[in-house]
Amino acid sequence: MSAALPAIRVRHLWHRFGTMDVLRDVSFEVGQGEIFGFIGPNGAGKTTTIRIMATLLEPLSGKVEIDGIDVALAPERVRRLIGYMPDHAGVYERITIREFLEFFAAAYAVPDRAVVGAVIELTELGKLQHRLVAELSKGMKQRLQIARILLHDPKVLVLDEPASDLDPRARIEVRDLLLELKDLGKTIFLSSHILTELSDICTSVGILERGSLVVSGPISEIAERLAARNAPPGADGKREPPTPQSPFLPGNEAGPVHNAERAQTAGGALVPGAARKRLRLRVIGDARSIAPLIEGGGGVLGVEAGLAGQLTVHYVGDERFVAEVVRHLVSRGVGIVGVEPERNELERIFLEVTRGDLQ
Amino acid sequence: MNDAGPVSVPEPSSRPGSARAGSLFERLREDPNPVWMRELKQAARLQRTPIILAVVTGMMTLLICSVGGVASTTSEPAKVGVGIFHTFFSLAYAVVTWLGPAVAANTIAGERSGRTWEALQLTGLSPRSIARGKFLAAFTYISLYIVMLVPVGALPFLFGGVTASEVLIAFALLFVLAALSVAFGLSVSAKFASPAAAIIVTLLVALPVSLLVYGGAGVGLSYAAHDQWPGVPGGPPVWLPTAYVRADFGLPYFAFLLFLPVVATLVPAWLFYEVTVANMGAESDDRSTRLRVWFACALPALTVSALLVTWVTHAVDWVYAAGSLLWAFGCFGAFLFAGEPLAPSQRVLTRWREQRVSAFRRSFGPGILPASALLAVLVWLGLACSAGLGAINAKTGAERDAVLAFHGYGMAFFGFVVGFTAWARARANNSHTPRVLLTAALFAACVGPWIAMAVAGLITNHHDRAMLMASPSPTFAATMAQSISSSAADASLVATTGSACAAAWALIGLGLFAAAGLKVRARVALDAAARAKLQRAFDEEEAAQRAAPEPALGEV
Repeated sequence: MSAALPAIRVRHLWHRFGTMDVLRDVSFEVGQGEIFGFIGPNGAGKTTTIRIMATLLEPLSGKVEIDGIDVALAPERVRRLIGYMPDHAGVYERITIREFLEFFAAAYAVPDRAVVGAVIELTELGKLQHRLVAELSKGMKQRLQIARILLHDPKVLVLDEPASDLDPRARIEVRDLLLELKDLGKTIFLSSHILTELSDICTSVGILERGSLVVSGPISEIAERLAARNAPPGADGKREPPTPQSPFLPGNEAGPVHNAERAQTAGGALVPGAARKRLRLRVIGDARSIAPLIEGGGGVLGVEAGLAGQLTVHYVGDERFVAEVVRHLVSRGVGIVGVEPERNELERIFLEVTRGDLQ
Repeated sequence: MNDAGPVSVPEPSSRPGSARAGSLFERLREDPNPVWMRELKQAARLQRTPIILAVVTGMMTLLICSVGGVASTTSEPAKVGVGIFHTFFSLAYAVVTWLGPAVAANTIAGERSGRTWEALQLTGLSPRSIARGKFLAAFTYISLYIVMLVPVGALPFLFGGVTASEVLIAFALLFVLAALSVAFGLSVSAKFASPAAAIIVTLLVALPVSLLVYGGAGVGLSYAAHDQWPGVPGGPPVWLPTAYVRADFGLPYFAFLLFLPVVATLVPAWLFYEVTVANMGAESDDRSTRLRVWFACALPALTVSALLVTWVTHAVDWVYAAGSLLWAFGCFGAFLFAGEPLAPSQRVLTRWREQRVSAFRRSFGPGILPASALLAVLVWLGLACSAGLGAINAKTGAERDAVLAFHGYGMAFFGFVVGFTAWARARANNSHTPRVLLTAALFAACVGPWIAMAVAGLITNHHDRAMLMASPSPTFAATMAQSISSSAADASLVATTGSACAAAWALIGLGLFAAAGLKVRARVALDAAARAKLQRAFDEEEAAQRAAPEPALGEV
């Protein structure tokens, strides 16, 4: 019965600090075994939502369930199911890594203390286990925090900005660790405002803006819906109506397009800036002489020729467009040494669905 | 629906006390409190700890040696020994009562400011367990100071005048004081997020209170002890260890040296513990039951203490002191329970259902109305006992009437205090407003009529009649009792006016309590309606989702 339940279910969540509504009717679900990215600018309400999920804050209204258990009614049971890592979490500095984890294992009443060793091994802290926590780098401390929340083998990991303040290497290490945890069957809910960090690992996302959830669901599905919404009007001059599964808030189906530079396709149709994509090519020869071979093609919005054979193609389309451009150039005898399609779809989605106002 | 079953209720232990104590010791040894252990490890690595300990011990040794050296030039050795004994334990008292709360104040607030509190909370360690761990850690730290000072405390032996038993008892009392001080600091720490704020508030309270206790219970009570047991010197502050050794065993010994000190230690210590735990909980948690149990035990304990003193001394005047003490304690209870929630939260109700909590235990749970009712009943019972004993001890009919009138007024006015507290809480949206209103109401009721009396006396020049203007003040009960017991000429008029005012206070209190009841019911009903509406919306949404062909993309 438990398997059919979403790991996290947030329903019509409202919260207020003083007279300010920080969460407004936020609802979403996270399936078992997913990595869910919770995205939003600073002040959007991410941490408030997370603190409610982690039983540290009581909601004004609405319901949050972790594995079917209401966080407001049975916080103790929820605490056994989740591992929560707050943003900028503190550590006890004057004990060693092993002592730190042994303390939390005892506090979690973990029956077999051998789990400390296993967690140390999983998080690759073995060589440092007898070092004082105070001597660790930020990345290692973050790793230690992840180790801490794994001690009681929680089903759901809730991570608030896990990679903030980390250097690139540490970020990559944390990302790889999260992927490893996903493989172990954990559901991971992580918030961030660094989109590149999420796009690589998340199976689905929720975007929060000004306390309201703007969109949620698997990245590819959201992208498809946005593409359908932004598609040029048909021959009868009508746009495809939004599907019944529109991810947008009621009354917002038309979807405000913000921060969008508008461009035109070769056919003259207007294209929102966020729907535009970019393809980088490195060719052998003078890029300026090769650019005309692509310009004016279907879906091409513009071509920029740079130094050292760099070509940047602005276009509207999917991966087939990239393949078609490559095939076209090769058939014209152009030597291609590099193809770098724009891969961050999440950035486009984020730009398209949020207003980007100061919050 | 979920894997975790309902939380099981632990069976009450039926093992004898010695077995439980043995088990507790075994648990402490085998599976010690993790918070305590971790704090000890951290403290052991703190480099400044041995330096501070060495400096404090060194300074104390130098000071005591100086005092002893100077005194030995003019006094005989036995007197020097006694002087050193009092000097040393007075200083140790200061160290323990000032340092203890400060150290403890840093503990929980320090976790909050260091951002480790949330991680600790989410481990599932109960607030009680955390509080015990923190207490043990701070107590161990302060105990280190006491242990380091033991050699210095043994110096009086070089001079004589003090027995080994007295020194040992004094050290034992020092540990008890340390425990109380740490418990107090911890209760403040649990309320604050900033260690600096917690330490400042703790010291602002601890410094004057410790000086008051030193002056009152130390120097002040030493004279009373000397009157009771001439072998105990009057004047020196550290008289209790001497009294334990030198006083003859009997009812006064049991009452003043055993029962009262135990009550005076346990009642505040238990309160600090419960306040610490309550301050660590969330708003929806049951933060009431244990505090209510504390009050239900503390008030009878205080009543018995007060009656015991009256019984031992055979002095009817003590009855007034006992009645006043119980009344003041009742008012403290009113302040404490003014922060009660209107009714149990859904979380508490769910837990009660799961644990099949009895109606009796539920009556101790959250809710301003049951809290007020319990408060009134216990205080009234205490005052009734005090009045009864006073009436039995009274030598004349006038004395008996005075005692009854005094306690009757107190009971009636306390009815108002309880009704007002419940009414203020029922109308307020937070726990602070009713406390502020109660303070204002008590101040106005106590002082206002006397100001009116003073003004009326100035205007009319009839001071005796003007005195009646003060009759609405609860302190008028003392005037009334004095007038009745001395069979003054206007005793009847004073008694009639006082009784009328007392009856008015009781009626107002009853009215306010009824109004509070109505308001609470209305607010609870409103809340229940809102919840039911939300639940209907959830149910409808779920039904719609089940009817939909595919799950929606993004539950928005």
